[in-house]
Amino acid sequence: MAGVSFRAAQSANQRKTYLLLASMGLLVGLVVYAALTYFGQSTTAIVPIAVGIALISVWGSYYTSDSIVLRMTGARQIQQSDNPNLFNLIQEVTIASGLPMPKVAIVEDTAPNAFATGRNPEHAVIAFTTGILDVMDRDQLQGVVAHEMSHVGNRDTLVAAVAATTAGAIAMVTDILTRMMWFGGGRRDSRDNNANPLALVVSLIILILAPIAALLLKSAISRRREALADATAVAFTRNPAGLRSALEVLAADSTVVHQRSTAVAHIWIESPLDAKSVSRLFATHPPIEERIAALRAMESLGPAT
Amino acid sequence: MKTTVIVVAVIVVLALIVISIYNRLVRLNVNVNEAFAQIEVQLKRRSDLIPNLVETVKGYATHEKETFERVIAARAKATTATTVADVAAADGMVTQALRGLLAVAEAYPDLKASTNFLALQEELSTTENKVSFARQYYNDNVRALNSAVKTIPYSFFAGMAKVGLREFYEVEDPQSRIAPTVKF
Repeated sequence: MAGVSFRAAQSANQRKTYLLLASMGLLVGLVVYAALTYFGQSTTAIVPIAVGIALISVWGSYYTSDSIVLRMTGARQIQQSDNPNLFNLIQEVTIASGLPMPKVAIVEDTAPNAFATGRNPEHAVIAFTTGILDVMDRDQLQGVVAHEMSHVGNRDTLVAAVAATTAGAIAMVTDILTRMMWFGGGRRDSRDNNANPLALVVSLIILILAPIAALLLKSAISRRREALADATAVAFTRNPAGLRSALEVLAADSTVVHQRSTAVAHIWIESPLDAKSVSRLFATHPPIEERIAALRAMESLGPAT
Repeated sequence: MKTTVIVVAVIVVLALIVISIYNRLVRLNVNVNEAFAQIEVQLKRRSDLIPNLVETVKGYATHEKETFERVIAARAKATTATTVADVAAADGMVTQALRGLLAVAEAYPDLKASTNFLALQEELSTTENKVSFARQYYNDNVRALNSAVKTIPYSFFAGMAKVGLREFYEVEDPQSRIAPTVKF
């Protein structure tokens, strides 16, 4: 396989994230257009209200993400004296990345997994299951730590919050509008005046498909951020083999973190949802084989300077 | 009237651009300084570990006087270095001397099994990693600064910001993380 440098992988994934975020913006524009065409001026107020509600609900959980996620996953914060070796590994990665030392937490669970959250690097938390600490050797664990610290450095909690806000607002707007459709409210004034049948049909299709499209975009963004975190982890450790063999351990392991809250599925290093139950298009993570192959491509380049 | 507004607007925009270029150069330079300070912190940490390590090994391997002396000498030399090149050279010597000491330890099973040594070994491998990541972080920051200083428009303002090319931190170490090259 041709070698791909982590720098190239990083910028490719960054670029795709921007494209996807821009597509989400475009989708919002389309929904607004469809709403105006189908329902006329009377619906103008719905969009800012929906965006406002989505902003408040997502921003609240974004701002307090460190404590909320810890509570939802049952993670318990630990100190250096509880696990000095783990703290050594994390300190190594903070030196490699220039990031501040995060809070460290443990989830009592035999399934190997890990996650990072927090609104900014100063409020970051990274958590590990007891399972992952048991099964992984030093190099593998260092790869996992670097992957989690990459989420912190790339501000993925913020990216996820932006994606969730937009998808949430779109879902809310289209939900309100389709309800209005059933009652035929507000439709008459626009249809009688400047009805263009084609525009009406297109608008209707947009309103029906928009929430699904938003969800697809949100998942695609999450997948890009995972691939980006893998590449950034290599930028920190310059050791793709460590993370690669860690992912191989995760791929070979069939146990799954027991709390399957879909709300926090995207934050784990390996998706805790059963792979078969989630369609590839809605998956929050790229297939693990794909991630392993990407890391192998970086390994084949040899040590980077 | 209209032209004055336009002229003022252009001047303000230009000033903002210059300020942001100037600030970025200064920030990049500060990053390099901080990264170098981090190397020194980690080297100090390693240096503090050495007496303890030597004592532990000495208890078991009494005949390796030469190896101990090499580590002690390298450590002593490292404390006087100040410039990037000197610090890097001293760092390389300590790294090699420590590797020699650990190689010696391999030959003494009693030593390898002692709990004191096992704890020291983890401490030493994390310290080596921290030192090497600190070097890497420094070099990444030097690379960012140097490529800014060499490219337009930053190159025009490097003199004004009193920022110039910085030296990479290069350790003479044939073994450091070089994977064997496979030839077919």
